[in-house]
Formats: sequence, C-alpha cells, structure tokens
Amino acid sequence: MQPRLFVDIRRRFDHLTLRMQFQVEAEILVLFGPSGAGKTQTLQAIAGLMTPDEGIISLGDTALFRRRLGETPINLPPRRRRIGYVFQHYALFPHMTALENVAFPLGNSAQARRRAHELLDRMHLAHLAQRKPHELSGGQQQRVAIARALATDSPVILFDESFSALDQPVRDQLHADLRALQAERGLIVIYVTHNLDDAFAVGRRIAIVREGQIEQIGPLAEVCRYPANVRVARVLGMANLITARVIGIDLDRVWLDWQGWRIAAALPPQLPALGATVTAFIRPEEIWLVYPDRPLTRFADHNLLPGRIVEWRPGRRLFQLHVAVGGVMLEMAHPYTAYTDLDTAVGNEVQLSIHPESVVIVPETSQTTHDLRSHPSDHIRHAGISG
Amino acid sequence: MNWPALWLSLQVTVLATFFIVVIGLPIALFLARTAFPGRIVVETLLMLPLILPPSVIGYYLLLALGRGSPLVEWFQIRILFSWPAAVVAAVVVGLPLMIQSSKAALANVDPRLEQAARTLGAGELRIIVRITLPLARRGIVAGIVLGGARALGEFGATLMVTGNIPGRTQTLPIAIYDAVQAQRYADANLMVLVMTAVAFVGLWWVRQLERPRPAPAATQITRQEETDATALVR
Repeated sequence: MQPRLFVDIRRRFDHLTLRMQFQVEAEILVLFGPSGAGKTQTLQAIAGLMTPDEGIISLGDTALFRRRLGETPINLPPRRRRIGYVFQHYALFPHMTALENVAFPLGNSAQARRRAHELLDRMHLAHLAQRKPHELSGGQQQRVAIARALATDSPVILFDESFSALDQPVRDQLHADLRALQAERGLIVIYVTHNLDDAFAVGRRIAIVREGQIEQIGPLAEVCRYPANVRVARVLGMANLITARVIGIDLDRVWLDWQGWRIAAALPPQLPALGATVTAFIRPEEIWLVYPDRPLTRFADHNLLPGRIVEWRPGRRLFQLHVAVGGVMLEMAHPYTAYTDLDTAVGNEVQLSIHPESVVIVPETSQTTHDLRSHPSDHIRHAGISG
Repeated sequence: MNWPALWLSLQVTVLATFFIVVIGLPIALFLARTAFPGRIVVETLLMLPLILPPSVIGYYLLLALGRGSPLVEWFQIRILFSWPAAVVAAVVVGLPLMIQSSKAALANVDPRLEQAARTLGAGELRIIVRITLPLARRGIVAGIVLGGARALGEFGATLMVTGNIPGRTQTLPIAIYDAVQAQRYADANLMVLVMTAVAFVGLWWVRQLERPRPAPAATQITRQEETDATALVR
C-alpha cells in the first residue's frame, strides 16, 4: 500500500501562528495562499528544516516528528527524513556539474553515477550532464533540481514556489512533466504556490492557506465553485462579492434582497437562516447583457438588473466591463466576439441578466461579513480532511 | 646570501602555515555560523595581533613561553629562544589574516545550499567538506596565502622570543636586519629581493583568486563531455 503523509503541527512565530493539519496520498496537493501565509514553513517542517512546537508528522507508519504530551518525542534530522525538496531558486550546488548535483544524495560509487545519469535522462537532460548550473537555463536548472530530489528515492517531493521564476511556456512544460512524473512513480507531491493558474495546471486537490491555517481543502473545482467562507473567496480573488439579505427559501432557490432588488440565488449546501445577511459571489463570465430589441431566452430570463457601463477594459483573453448596478460595481468579462451588436460605450444604460445558479452564496457569512477577524474560533472548522 | 636563514624561514613558514590553517579554519567556521553573546569581543581579540606593535606581541609571548607560565610549568613546553618559538610568533601574527579572510568567505556561502544538502541526506561533516569549504575555497586560500606571507615576514616578536642566534634561530627578516647593522649591503640586497619577490607572488596570487572567474565557454565543453556522458551510460 502507498504510504500517506500525515501532518498535524503547530508552531508560533512572531507574526503568525502555524496550525496545519492535512494528509496527502499519492497525488499532487496544492498549498495555495498569499505570501507569508505559512506555506513554506509547512514544507520546512515536513523536511525537518524547521521544528514545530508540537504535533506529529508521519509518513506511512514512520513518525518523522512527534511532540505531544505523554508520548516519547521524535524529531528525525533532515538527512534521515530524506524528503525531496525542490527550492524556489533551485539551490543547485554551483561548484558541481549537473551530474554531480544529482549524484550528491547517492554517494560516490560508479553505480551512483549511473543512477544519476538515468535520472538526468528521465528529465531529458542527459546531454547536459557535465554542465555547471550557471551554464544552464532556468528551466534546465529546475529539471536538475527535480532529478536531484528524485535521487533521494523519497516517496515525497515538496515544491516550494519552484517554477515561479520561469517563463510561462517553460512552466507549462514543467507542470506537464511533474504530472507525468507523479503518476509514473506514485509520488506524494506537495506543491506550494501563490499563483492560481499554477494551481490549476498541476493539482487536483487544493488547500487554501491563510494566516497559518488551512481554510478549506478539497478538489480544485469544488473549492473554486463553493468557497467555504468569505476569506477563501477573497484569497481566490473572487470578483463581485455582494452582501444581501435572505428573504425567502424555495425548494431550489434562495431569494435575496440586494439593494432593494429581489434576486434568485442557487441553493447552497448549507442553508442560510431567513433574514440573515449573506455574502454571495457572481463570476464575471456569468453576468450577461440583455439585447433590448430581442426576445429573452429562457436562460436569460432571470435576475434582470439595470446598470450603467462605467468602464471598458481590454484583457488578455476577455474584455472587461465594469457596470454600476445601484450603488455597487459589478465586473463582467466576455470574449471579444461577444456583444459586438451592442453599443457597450462607457456611460450607456444596459440591462443585465444573471442566472440563479451563478449567484453562489458563501457559507457562514452572516457572522463574518462585518468583522472577519473577530471570530478566531471558526477558523479551523473547514479544515477537515478529505480523501 | 644567508642560506641557513632562508632555510629556517621556509621551515618556520611551512609549519606556521600548517598551524594557521588547523587553528584558523575551525575558528573561522565557528565565527561564520554561530551567533553568541560577546562574539564581537572574541573577534576583536582575534584581530588584535594585526595592529598591536610587534614588541607588545613579543612581550606577551615572552610571558606565555617564559618561566612561570602554565605552558612551561605544567606542560614542560620549553621553546623560548629556540626556533619553534619563531613558529609560535608567526602563527600569532598570521592567524588574524587567515580567520578574517576565510570567515568572510564562509559566511558568504548561501545557507540554502546547506539546507538543500541536508534534505539530500548529507550529515554536517559531509556538508562542510563537500559544500561549504569548496564554495568558500577562494577566500580560504587567500587567507592561507596572506597568513603564510605574514608568517614569513614576521620580525619584531620573533626577535624577542627567539633571540638572534645565527644558524639556529635567525630567520631571513632578522638576518636582513643583522646584515644592515653590519653594513653587509650586498647580502641585504639579495635577501630583500627574495622577500619582495615572495611577497609579490603571494599577493598577485591572492588577487587572482579574488577576481571573479569568467564562465567557461559552454558549447566547447559540451561536445567533449557529451562523449564522456554517453560512455558512462554505456
């Protein structure tokens, strides 16, 4: 059976208290969150480069670290944990060739060199084996670093913002390689990033880390569709977070009073109380413009709202419209080919349509909307372990 | 030319350099990595021989090696007024240069590389030998050369602790002094020339070491080493 990595640690820093609890199987878990949230410290704790105040870290049946009341403490030094660690700036040994770098964890025997060469070959770098790091490109250096981490023969490899300094095409390639490598070897991979695109490129499961804690952990699509709370929605950069009051609950709809408009929202997994103030978000891509001269389709005949275009902004793939609805600015994003027949000049009055399924109520917002920091007790509630 | 003096100076220098490395490197390593209270005091004390007048150092050494000192009374180390005392003097004055230069180089080694080595299964000793020392080697070699050169040129303290016994404790710098005193200028000229040449070569070498090395032409290397690599795989 594949071992699993189990982490349950606490550590107090000056500026942050790290309280991490999760487990990873043979998969890629993305630790996502803003800089300074404690992602790197978590990896360091697993690798043995940082010692938590208390908790347990185990790989299969082996405890790498254990410090709990009433139990014999265990704290294996990094060299006995041999957790593969791929650093942000590669941390290749500059005075050694690529081959020597990869052979470093293997020793000096001829067999070690042969094995190192196999690993370089696996990373498509056999022809550069004798180069020093400074003679390699960033992407090549990172491949050497991955080969070197593989050489430890650890079932666990940690990536600490490892690809963030690389160009997008190189990064895409490395992401593809990483997915293949993980599947091929059944590796336990933790991938730390603060870039959501990177998260989608490698991971199936994501943990949202904020201020030293996991706010939510689960499949990527699910976390993005149903953020566990407003903090997660904010960390994920959700646009169009609106605050509204619950005025009715149907079998398939929640009715909200938003700035005096009655709008329909999707039923959330966790039902809000009648009369409660909730936060919901609407994806910019899911707000439609209504053609005034055409009949409404069944799909567009919902949540019709009047608005005024305030800004038109070109984007990389979509263009953005900022539309004032009452006193709130909504952000829309659509392909450049959309609404070409419509005059979307700034200042124009338009009508918006939002499908109820696109209005997603974020759970537990009634108590956290006004003061996010006043309820430390509900921090860990969503940090359940899935899988 | 005073051959016995030259020979003795070489002997003293080689031995002193050996001790400078053996004593200086661990101290530099410790100072580069460990923060402790009073560290600045220790560092200042270690640098002191650089600026103290040689006569002061000589006087301290006389106290340390003379009658009544623990070294003599307890350990029976009686080297005053014999050539090993010159080695001691040379070590004392050469050590600060070695420590200063190698400490700076060692502190410059990126700690993340040492962290990386730890995750790759290396113990602390292996990290020092394979990562830290090689990466700091230029500063260390510079320290050895500077310390050795200083040892070779040591005059004042040596004069006080070895006496000036031609053929037995007379080193080259002292022989030069002697020659000038006796107005044997031809002798002095030659010896001065030798000393200057040695100092020049030493400093020139250090400058070479401190100069950043140009990156070797990558393409040229690859072709040859690609064949090596394929040979390995086979």
